[in-house]
Amino acid sequence: MWYISRATGVVALLLMTAVLLLGLLVSRQGRLPGLPKFAVTGLHRNLALIAVAFVGLHVVTAVADGYVNIPLISVIVPLSSSYERLWLALGAVSLDLSLAIIVTSLVRNRLSRKAWKAVHWLAYLSWPVAWLHSYGSASDLKGGWLFLLAIADLLVVVAAVGWRLAAAARDVPRAERVGLLMNAVHQRGRNR
Amino acid sequence: MTTAIDTDLPRLLPRDGRRAQGWREHAARYDRIPYRNAAGRLIADVEASGLTGRGGAAFPTHRKLAAVLQASVRKRVRPAVVANGAESEPASDKDATLLWLAPHLVLDGLQLAAEAVGAESAVLYTHADRAGDVGGRLREALADRRDDRVPVSLAFAPPRFLAGQETALVSHLGEGPAIPTYPVPRITERGLGGAPTLVQNAETLAHLALIARYGPRWFREVGIPNDPGSHLVTVRRADGHPRVLEVPSGVGIASLVGETASIGALLLGGYHGTWVPAAKAVRLRLDNESLRSVGATVGAGILAVLPGDRCGLVESARIVRYLALESAGQCGPCLNGLPRMSAALTALARGRAPRGTRADLERWAGLVTGRGACHHPDGTARFVKSALRTFAAELERHERGQCGASNATPFLPLPQGTARTEEDWL
Repeated sequence: MWYISRATGVVALLLMTAVLLLGLLVSRQGRLPGLPKFAVTGLHRNLALIAVAFVGLHVVTAVADGYVNIPLISVIVPLSSSYERLWLALGAVSLDLSLAIIVTSLVRNRLSRKAWKAVHWLAYLSWPVAWLHSYGSASDLKGGWLFLLAIADLLVVVAAVGWRLAAAARDVPRAERVGLLMNAVHQRGRNR
Repeated sequence: MTTAIDTDLPRLLPRDGRRAQGWREHAARYDRIPYRNAAGRLIADVEASGLTGRGGAAFPTHRKLAAVLQASVRKRVRPAVVANGAESEPASDKDATLLWLAPHLVLDGLQLAAEAVGAESAVLYTHADRAGDVGGRLREALADRRDDRVPVSLAFAPPRFLAGQETALVSHLGEGPAIPTYPVPRITERGLGGAPTLVQNAETLAHLALIARYGPRWFREVGIPNDPGSHLVTVRRADGHPRVLEVPSGVGIASLVGETASIGALLLGGYHGTWVPAAKAVRLRLDNESLRSVGATVGAGILAVLPGDRCGLVESARIVRYLALESAGQCGPCLNGLPRMSAALTALARGRAPRGTRADLERWAGLVTGRGACHHPDGTARFVKSALRTFAAELERHERGQCGASNATPFLPLPQGTARTEEDWL
């Protein structure tokens, strides 16, 4: 069971990465090759669901396993476990943040867009905390190909967030878009 | 009731020409406000009268009143009520004229509409600088009123074409930019501050004030059965000056536009409206049934002639350029489509359009229609398509590098200035 917990932990981290990347894409109304926009959103949601399943399995197996003693409360309350006190605390924090995101998304219809979005922003906090939890608590990730995977994972997310920020910086304010386009198309007409 | 019931026009505008009606003249002509003393009571009279919205969409007024009243009872929230005098259409002058000449009639209607849906306050929303200083005039009028039960506040719209669109109005009154928002849920369910919101055009409210006084039967003594009552219309003849007239629905268009020999075409319904060849237009009547045959509607009652010495393509290109610049820039089809349509029409008007431009325009007009949060792309597309149809002969002339016009002075009115920053929408 300890092996299941470690394996599902790694897969859960990778899935959370994929969900984060898709979320970044959705927020820019971007597309994946061969997929319409709504399918990107759908993929983001469905992968999130699978990630939840893996995180659940990862947590349940870790608690249930007798190899180390992790109290059930430590799943959600940080710093309540004597085993790997700090690293498990990070896991609990990440899970709590994810739970907030999941619950607000499930009742999104009843929330204002602003409130939902504010909570959804926590994803940017939840992911690095989850990564630190993975890296810190698992000796597996500190060497071999899993180490390379963890570092690659981190670099991909940093690059993607960088892309997202750059895209936001290029944004034209709504009120100026029409004027810019007008100038562009009328110019083209004159040059012809 | 001491006032003699009158059926003759004008009903809304002053009898003695253009002299504005102050509080005393208003009270002498129409007597006091006939409050019904309970919400909902007036709605049956409005339904029997057949009054429709005069802002352009011609939606049955009683249905909006009933929808707002029901939503507010169901949700147990006090509704918001707004008189919409933000006549953003540059070719129209009827609401500004009405607010200038008979502000108290509109304010009476606002009181009665607010009572009918159970509102405790109301807003009068308008462009401050139309008709000289309509804002100052309304401030005076509000100070003069004696027996208002519902307090009314004034709010001023930014000088944007879309500022009078009802979701843009709600956004602006909620301290936001005057840009249209997604139409669902409807503002009659969830509008200003989340409350069910009634937005009625200023002229509609003036009619409502008279229906409350003289009854639905009186209202129907003028106009045609399917669209009873009178309409304020803005007529722009070849001399370029706007005339605001009060006419019965179904009036012959020929009787409104004057000398027809020198007219090339007629624009019906304003800049979201339809060009119709003059020869065809003068055989029509001013009601939606008659205008359907040429794909036009009465809209907000705008009739503008194109003098025979002007070029319809050049005028249309000017208007579409303005409409494109007035896009809020939030919906893709409008943001991307309207500037391209404007550039294409400008190229056609200058006789420098590459082959296929006309087909492109027709295609784009089809592509943008029905795909905005508001009807701005639809209205613009309707205008463009009618221009291509009506000025087909002129198009061919332009393809050969000629133009039928002898006068290059711009004719149709356009406001100065376009939006450059977010501030311009506030």
